Amino acid sequence: MAEIEMNNGREVRSSTGSIGRMFQAASGLFLIFFLGVHLYVAHIDFGHPIQFFTSVIENMHNPWWLAFFIVFVWVISYHAVNGLGGIIKDLTMSEKGKSYVNMGMLALYIVTVIYGTILAILVARIPLP
Amino acid sequence: MVEENVKNLREGPMGWVKFYRKGIGYFAFAMHRFSGLVIVFYLYLHLFVLSHLLVGKASYNSLVTSVTYGPFDSFLVLDVLLALVIFYHGANGTRLALNELGIGLHKNKVMFYVFEVIAMILLGIFLYYAYMFLGAS
Amino acid sequence: MEELVVEVTRTDEKGNPKLQSFNVPKDKVSTVLEALLYIKENIDPSLSFRYSCRMEICGSCGMEIDGKPHMACSTTTESLKGDKIKVAPLKHYNVIRDLAVDIDGFFDKYKAVKPYIIRDDENVKYESELLQTPAQFDEFIDYSLCIKCGLCMAACPIEGSDSDYLGPAPLAAIWRYVADNRDQGAKYRLEIASGPEGTSRCHFVGECTEVCPKGVDPSYAIQKLRGSMVKYEFQSLFRRH
Repeated sequence: MAEIEMNNGREVRSSTGSIGRMFQAASGLFLIFFLGVHLYVAHIDFGHPIQFFTSVIENMHNPWWLAFFIVFVWVISYHAVNGLGGIIKDLTMSEKGKSYVNMGMLALYIVTVIYGTILAILVARIPLP
Repeated sequence: MVEENVKNLREGPMGWVKFYRKGIGYFAFAMHRFSGLVIVFYLYLHLFVLSHLLVGKASYNSLVTSVTYGPFDSFLVLDVLLALVIFYHGANGTRLALNELGIGLHKNKVMFYVFEVIAMILLGIFLYYAYMFLGAS
Repeated sequence: MEELVVEVTRTDEKGNPKLQSFNVPKDKVSTVLEALLYIKENIDPSLSFRYSCRMEICGSCGMEIDGKPHMACSTTTESLKGDKIKVAPLKHYNVIRDLAVDIDGFFDKYKAVKPYIIRDDENVKYESELLQTPAQFDEFIDYSLCIKCGLCMAACPIEGSDSDYLGPAPLAAIWRYVADNRDQGAKYRLEIASGPEGTSRCHFVGECTEVCPKGVDPSYAIQKLRGSMVKYEFQSLFRRH
């Protein structure tokens, strides 16, 4: 209470904003690597280009590539959702509004990650043509 | 207290894209946001396209070939623009991440140009090989 | 005699902005503030703007000159090139009248960061000064040059989209005291800076530094502060109040 009085009536609530920014930067640097590999594999060296379907399935049958893409989905979704939330929260809105944005972004992250993971696993289980 | 007829000159998010007489950092910031939003949109579009893998070989192949070899091959222009924003975002993001670690705090302008030039050269190399790859068929 | 056109964004009876142009004599030494004073004394006495010291110390005459926040007293008309100058009130503030804006909101934010030395032994009378080495002095002196003109608040795009964001000057003031070895109030200030309206909202645009008339470099101060913030926030996560 005394601390709030010292702040001239402005109520202060500490958060983890700077840690969030640090994670955003770290995940961004990881994505440079992930995306670099992805662009090389999917757009430059990916078997015969007309056999898109077969190439993807073959790729995902390798457990290392499967793990790579699942982690890729997790990291890119975090980076995307965290960044999107940051942009929305830069608009004038109440503290309650901002907490709704946080909850919405968390829900979006969970849905994206679950969908992406299930999709990758299901694709890996498709038999080779 | 001020009179009741005061007008607030707070610009809102539209102010983010007003570059007149602003520094390069302002442009970098606005474009980072714009490119980020484009990439988020593409992320979900990409998941949608990949979902066609579950439908079957014919469905996925026809979707992907239609936007690469025709009849909708003009989408490749959007692909090139997408690659442009991704490379821009990556280069500027690397600069910001280094800033976050306390590196180059007083060299931001130089770092922006250096990273962007490197990114654009890499983009050119990538587009050349990606084009060669598509043409290999 | 050569003339200069000064286009001023004024307020009409309803508080809406309106443009009005004035012709003033052109020379190589006059400042924009002097041009405005010429208008007030010779053409239209109702033109309103705030000023005091005329030498970039009081921080009163901040306004947008040719689309960028400047101090009117230290900006010569010659430096702006061209024969037409556009003068408007600072953005992100409420306009009281013509070029005079209400800076109360900015001062409230500034006060919130406790811009003064805080000591744990507040009531103790010292027998001598609190000594500092030149190196300790150099840590904060640049940031103590702030004249609270509020130009950085008008230049910051986040301040423009979210009125709750603390803004460059108050955050730079936090670093000014955190970097001062005499100060023991970091625990209060870092809590404010780590809040949802604190350093994490700064996106390294650097426009605050571009417009600062005193070379304070608020953008750099915020980035220095952020280093302390990460440490502080990790400690807060594992601490129970």
